Parts: sequence; C-alpha cells; structure tokens
Amino acid sequence: MTGALFAQSLVLGVLLGGLYALLAAGLTLYFGVMRVVMIAHSAFLILAAYLAWYFHERTGIDPLLSLVVTVPLFFVVGYGMQRFLVSRLRPITLTTMSVLLTFAVALTIEGLLGFVWTGTQRRIQLGYSGTSIEVAGVSIAVVKLVAFGLAALSLGALYLILRRTSFGRALRATTQHPEAARLIGIDTDRVAGLGFGLGLATAAVGGTALALDYTIYPSLHWHWIGPLMAIIVVGGLGSIPGAAIAALLLGVAASLLQVPLGTTWAQTVFYLALFVTLMIRPQGFFGGRLAQRF
Amino acid sequence: MESELESELAPQATAGQAAEPGPAAEPLLRLTDVQAGYGRAALVLRGLSVTVAPGSVVCLVGPNGAGKSTVLKVASGLLKPRAGQVVVDGVDVTGRSPQQLLAAGLSHVPQGHSVFPEMTVAENVLLGAYTVRDRSEVEARTDFVTELFPLVGERWSALAGALSGGQQKQVEFARSLMVRPKVVLLDEPSMGLDPKATAVVFEQVRRMRDAGTAVLLVEQNARRALESADVGCVLDLGRVHITGPAPDLLADPRLAQLYLGGRPKEVS
Repeated sequence: MTGALFAQSLVLGVLLGGLYALLAAGLTLYFGVMRVVMIAHSAFLILAAYLAWYFHERTGIDPLLSLVVTVPLFFVVGYGMQRFLVSRLRPITLTTMSVLLTFAVALTIEGLLGFVWTGTQRRIQLGYSGTSIEVAGVSIAVVKLVAFGLAALSLGALYLILRRTSFGRALRATTQHPEAARLIGIDTDRVAGLGFGLGLATAAVGGTALALDYTIYPSLHWHWIGPLMAIIVVGGLGSIPGAAIAALLLGVAASLLQVPLGTTWAQTVFYLALFVTLMIRPQGFFGGRLAQRF
Repeated sequence: MESELESELAPQATAGQAAEPGPAAEPLLRLTDVQAGYGRAALVLRGLSVTVAPGSVVCLVGPNGAGKSTVLKVASGLLKPRAGQVVVDGVDVTGRSPQQLLAAGLSHVPQGHSVFPEMTVAENVLLGAYTVRDRSEVEARTDFVTELFPLVGERWSALAGALSGGQQKQVEFARSLMVRPKVVLLDEPSMGLDPKATAVVFEQVRRMRDAGTAVLLVEQNARRALESADVGCVLDLGRVHITGPAPDLLADPRLAQLYLGGRPKEVS
C-alpha cells in the first residue's frame, strides 16, 4: 500500500468511524439506561434515510432540512416505544426479550418500507454529490465530510446534554445505579423513556447522514446492525465514550483493510474484534468499571 | 423457643418502651402492622411495627431473612406493603412512590455501594438535591454536608468510584442529607468495610443524629450498631420481637447469645 493510498484510507476510515460512533452511541444508550438490546436501531436508521430521500424527492430541498422533522419525530416515537412497549417487558427477562421485541419492530419497519417504497434501490442526487475537496493529496468527498460533520455535531450535542444538563445527570445516574437514582427522587421510568427517545433521535441524524452518501434499500439495516453491535461490545456495553472510541478504531481498521482484502472481507474486522473481546475482555475495552457491572 | 425468649425479655421490652419519647415527642416515622413480601412469595414482614423518634438512632438487628432490609424498602417506597400503615411526621404515606416519600422527608441509603461511580463526588452530592429547585438551599446544604463530612469536600472533584468503600459511604451519607430529610434510612452501612472504616461510619451515624437527623439503621454487625444506637429492635420472622434502649439490649445475656454472637457487654 502506497503512502497516499494509506492516507486516503485513513481519512475515509475516520469519516466512516465518526458516523459509526454516532450510531453506536445511540445503541449503547439504550443498553446503558435500560439494558435493552435495540436490534431495530439500524432499521430506524434506514427509515430516517428513506424519509430524507422522500423529503428531497418531493421538495427538492437539501435532505439535511428533513432533520427538523425527523429528529423530534424519532424522539417522540422512541419515548412512546419505551413507555408503551419496552417497559411492559418483565424486568427479569428484559434484556433477552428486548432482542425479540426489537427484532420484530425491525422486521415491521423493513416490511413497511418495502410496501410503501418497494424494494428498488434509492439514492439522493445532490448538487454536491460528486464533489470532492483535496487536502494534502487526499481526496475527500463533500458528502462524507458533511455526514461526518453532522455526526460530530450530534455527538458533541449528546455529550453536552449528558454532561451539562440536569436531565443528562439524571440519565447517567440512572445508568450507573438505577435504585440509588430512584431513591434521590429521579423518575427513572420517565428518564428511561427520554433516554430511549434520545437514542432514536441519533438514528434520525445518522440516517440522514447515511442517505447523503449511500444507496438505500429496505433490508440495508441488516448490513449495519452487526458492526454496530460489535462496536458497543468492544467499547464496553453502556459506555458512550467507549462506543465512540471503538467506532473510530474499527472504522479506520475496516477502511484500511478494504485495500488488501476488498469491501466484503474488510467488514469481518468488526466480528473478529467482537470474538477477541468476548474471549479476553468480555466487559469491553473502554467501558471502565461501569461496563463490568453488566 | 421464641415465646420463651419473648416472655423472658418482656420486662426489658417494657423498659425499652418507657425509654422512648413520650406523647410530647410525636414519632417522625411510624410503621404499624406492616405486611410485605416480594412478588407472589410468602410474606417477609408479618405485622411489623416500629417507630423512630426525633433526634434518635433506631437500630434493627436480627438474623438473616428476618426482614430488616425489607422494612427500609417499605419505608422508602421501593416496596409497597400488602397491609399496614406508614406515617411520616403525622402524614399517612402508605404505598407512595420513592419520590413522594423523599419529599415527605425519608432519605434511603441502600445496601452496598450506591454512589454513581463514573461521576465526581460533587456530582454525586449535588444529585442528592435533584428535587430541590432553590439554589440557595442547595448551597446551604452543600456547606452543611461538607462541614459534617470534611472528606467529601476534600475529594470534591474525585471520581466517586475511585474512593475507598468507607469514603464512598460518606459520599452516600452526604448525598442523603442534601434534601434536609427528617429520617435517614441506612441499610447495612458497614457492609464490606474493614474495622477501621466501620468505626468511622458509625461515628458519622452519630454525627448525623447529633446534627438533628433521626436515623433508622439496619445492620448485620448488631453489637457495633447497638453501641451507636439509642433504641434497638430485634426482628425475627418479619416481626419486632423485642424493643428497648440499645444499652439494655447489649447487656442482656440471652440476647447476646442469640443475636450478638457472644457474651453481653458490661454496661456501667
């Protein structure tokens, strides 16, 4: 691999890793707060991508503007999903049953997407779709930069919400010790609902970013959920910083491996990392002591 | 066996009740004939009654499975009683949520470590005032708890999970006092601590009492807990079998043999 090719792959890997980081942050948020394995996260991601595509098709306006609708919409749907579906699962089997429940939701979304928009592949064509900028000999597609910027902004916003707001502190407290959180007056059920909404809102942002650069079709979510699950296990279940670090590292690794191995085999790096993690450090590499409690 | 024990200790029980505050001092917390259990399983508490007077430390001791921790869970709203009554400062709060009971004046420090380990000591303590909207009150309470527990102020910016077990317990105590509670419920505060840290924890229980907060304490380390308490209650099979001044319970030979693991303490 030449130096230029390496640099190109590295930059693409960082950009892809940023998107993975946002999506994995949402996924690990569900698990951290509610011990829910949200298989439907990537299905909502593809739904958001479809909504962005449809918005652009109907209005001709930049799909980024669809976020004004999809982010609050997904937040409300997430809140409702937690309060009316997930919270009805028995606590003792919550994690296991949430896999089945959200698997069913994922299949339903996939079916509805196929029913409404058929299985035809869709792609957004924008004025800047084919445009690239060159920095130090590395060519970067503008859509990838926009997607990365969107992911970075959202992660920054998520960080600020979790660190600087009263709700964020309540959410983190609920994640770290639910019973103690209840005993200091936090309405943990409401916090769980809002946390679920926040997680799904990240899917709305991620889906829109995805729609800028990817061809979409209803079953595309299966392609995403495996790597995302691997990322949150490697990062340490429930740890958002852990998920972000693992996402960036694995995104870069997958991108670098694409050159010698090809796109399909490069994806195996996620599963390889998953196996290695489960064998030598099941609590994940970046989750700290919190992850050890799961 | 139980009835024999009860009859033998009856005079002490009477003495214990006499030592409790009279009618002028209305209890801050009163549990009356409480029955409670988990799910469909058998009852853990079978008609338990206990009171906590202002400015006192009441200690519940008894064998494993007696229902000690369940009493605190019922009092703080984590477990709804199937029968009976919970009254806080004259107000019936039976069956209310933990949030409502916190507002009524009950603050519960659960068993084991309950700090938020990935948050700083400051965040932990200030979260204790999560339901308090008045900033000046939060500042006043922060000053109060950092004065009562100097270590909390010294380790203000440290990660709570990085503190030792005894230090974490101090953070939990400080957090529980941020809402100006009437009664603090402490569930086995010495669990997992070495003797030195245990001594510090019980010293701080007394300091909480001296600072004006009543304490309902549950402990496995019965002898140590009774040494710090004003009133002791011996639980067995979900009921209070004996109530009395803690020094009297410590001095009783039968009680020492059955529940305190050895000879009675000599009371001067």
